[in-house]
Amino acid sequence: MNRRISIGVLSALLAMAGCTSSTPVAHDPGRVVLPVKQVPVPGRIYATKSRALYRFSGTTLTRLRFGSSVKDPAVTPAGDRIAVAQLQDQSSTIVVSDPNGRNRQTLTPPAGAEGTLWAFAPGFDRDGHRIVYLTDRGKPPSSPQNLQPNDLGVWSYDLATGQSRRLVQPFAYTGGDSDPSYRPGVSDQLVYTTYLYGGVPAEPVARLTWMSTRTGATVYLSPDPGRNFEPALSPDGRYVAFIRATPGGDDLYVMPLAPTYNRELRPYPSESAVLIQSGIIAQPVWAPDASAIAFLELVNGSFDLFILPIATDTTIHAAGVAQAVTHGSFLDADSRLAWSP
Amino acid sequence: MPALGSMNHSPATGVPDAPGSHRLRWIALGAIVVALALIGAVLIYLSPVLALLEPHDPALGRVAGAPAATPPPLDSKQRINILLLGSDNDQKFRGDALLSQTMIVVSIDPSAHQVTMLSLPRDLWVEIPGHPSAKIDLAYALGGAPLARATVEKAFKIPIHYYAWVGLNGLVRVVDRVGGVDIDVLHPVLDDNYPNDFSDSGYGTERVYLAAGPQHLDGRHALQYVRSRHGDLLSDFGRSVRQQQLLLAIQHRVAGMDLVSALPTFARDLNGHVKTDLDLVRLTQLALFMRGIHPGDVHQAYISSYVRDATSADGQQILVAEWPAVHAYLVQLFGGDLLP
Repeated sequence: MNRRISIGVLSALLAMAGCTSSTPVAHDPGRVVLPVKQVPVPGRIYATKSRALYRFSGTTLTRLRFGSSVKDPAVTPAGDRIAVAQLQDQSSTIVVSDPNGRNRQTLTPPAGAEGTLWAFAPGFDRDGHRIVYLTDRGKPPSSPQNLQPNDLGVWSYDLATGQSRRLVQPFAYTGGDSDPSYRPGVSDQLVYTTYLYGGVPAEPVARLTWMSTRTGATVYLSPDPGRNFEPALSPDGRYVAFIRATPGGDDLYVMPLAPTYNRELRPYPSESAVLIQSGIIAQPVWAPDASAIAFLELVNGSFDLFILPIATDTTIHAAGVAQAVTHGSFLDADSRLAWSP
Repeated sequence: MPALGSMNHSPATGVPDAPGSHRLRWIALGAIVVALALIGAVLIYLSPVLALLEPHDPALGRVAGAPAATPPPLDSKQRINILLLGSDNDQKFRGDALLSQTMIVVSIDPSAHQVTMLSLPRDLWVEIPGHPSAKIDLAYALGGAPLARATVEKAFKIPIHYYAWVGLNGLVRVVDRVGGVDIDVLHPVLDDNYPNDFSDSGYGTERVYLAAGPQHLDGRHALQYVRSRHGDLLSDFGRSVRQQQLLLAIQHRVAGMDLVSALPTFARDLNGHVKTDLDLVRLTQLALFMRGIHPGDVHQAYISSYVRDATSADGQQILVAEWPAVHAYLVQLFGGDLLP
């Protein structure tokens, strides 16, 4: 096309573009968290931004000095210790410390006989004596000429003995399991997400999974196909909040948990779960008194921290609207939140 | 030149011009000067865009061929098909022999206000015009965009009106330029042998981990997400799904951008990393159209149900299509807008 004509038409089109209304997307402000004023946070919420650890408490925001980059903060029920995944260039380890990031202790090795290792998503048990976490420890040797699976499995670490053991063997070439948590109120149950493939043609599937650490039995709580993930257990262990992927978003649901499971239930418990919040939601976590759920929600291109009041009187439901704690802050949505008294 | 305000005489009649006529002439002259200045400014402003859109294929250093079907006129409501090509173009590959690791036909139907993205598996065994049958990703290496286009048109009967090629750096820059993308990562991505594209040799590997779930990805991590296939049982099909996810996420970010100020900066960043035969006006027209597209207007299409694994005579692991079923599927997608 004649370039002069092109320029003329283009100018007209660009003029139209200038008049076209659209919702502007936010841009990451860098290593800054922008709090919304007058929204006090009860207790202490831990979150990461650009792999730095932040603590929200009341209207105070504190950046914790934790050395190199971290993700997936976890906290004991008493709030006296925190654990994070500390990231190096090609590996990560589980590190515990006091609530201010001091007196750090590295629990898992950055490498083993099988090569360099990942470790993520620590979670304390009710007494703070054990940690459940994800690692690719025990993987077979792999090279570009001889590719082997290196999926993440669920392991536990005993803080008294320093011993680790595998709890769950992941399905090969799925990326492995995610989001492990000990169930509060009992000593021998886990909930986590199993990743696999299902349907015809095959598609990615994520299933909520209950496990007895005593017997090793596992029971799926959500169907195949479908993607239900990031389970978060209420402080009394009676409810689980989770994310369900739908064509339009990643919505927040809550469902009750039975005391134990002997077999898969039909319909699956997740199918009668209650929708709590719509949108692109990630990383739900319960308040220590179960009065609210905090989560990250995508708003105008930024994942920000919200708190939603929850009532568990006759049925579980949202007791108000979600309040934004931050805005335009681009918090790390691939990193868990933690909430302590 | 007379001073402003002095009376002028018409050379033809010798009758003094009316003061109003004189003023009009100066206004007209001023308008022309302003218009020329504006055109010059627009040309300077858009020069990076014009440089990006030079219609040649740098991978081969030769002029690209014409499509089998003429692109619809600008004011038409006819369907427009664009072949998106993605290549490894790091140091370990010769610039004139790049495989197209990604092939996606983006079909825009202005009348229905719909967009369809159809992924073509790179291992699909096809007839390449003028060459022996081979995997479809070889077409770009053998003859650049013209041959890739001709191969797709011959095998799928889809008229390809334009092409756009992007290298690894180009993809990273596009994503970073739009401020990153928001993606629901479908599975954890674990890859201990991910090609380190940006190492000096281009032959190194690095370890990659991306957690599952919704998250914000920068260019480097978005590339890892769409490129890794070692930890995905669905292999290339899984990768196609992720690539389409990324395209949608980029479209979503672009929809919220100020196109006027973004376009030249984009073009300056991408020069040498993205090549296309889209002309400037069409590109802008399509960009404006895409701003008005909502997630429900975009359809993701795959031919995975109509292909099966096989081994070629020379021992390559390939995919073989059931072509009647593929063409029936394409008729569903494209209606009567296919080549005879």
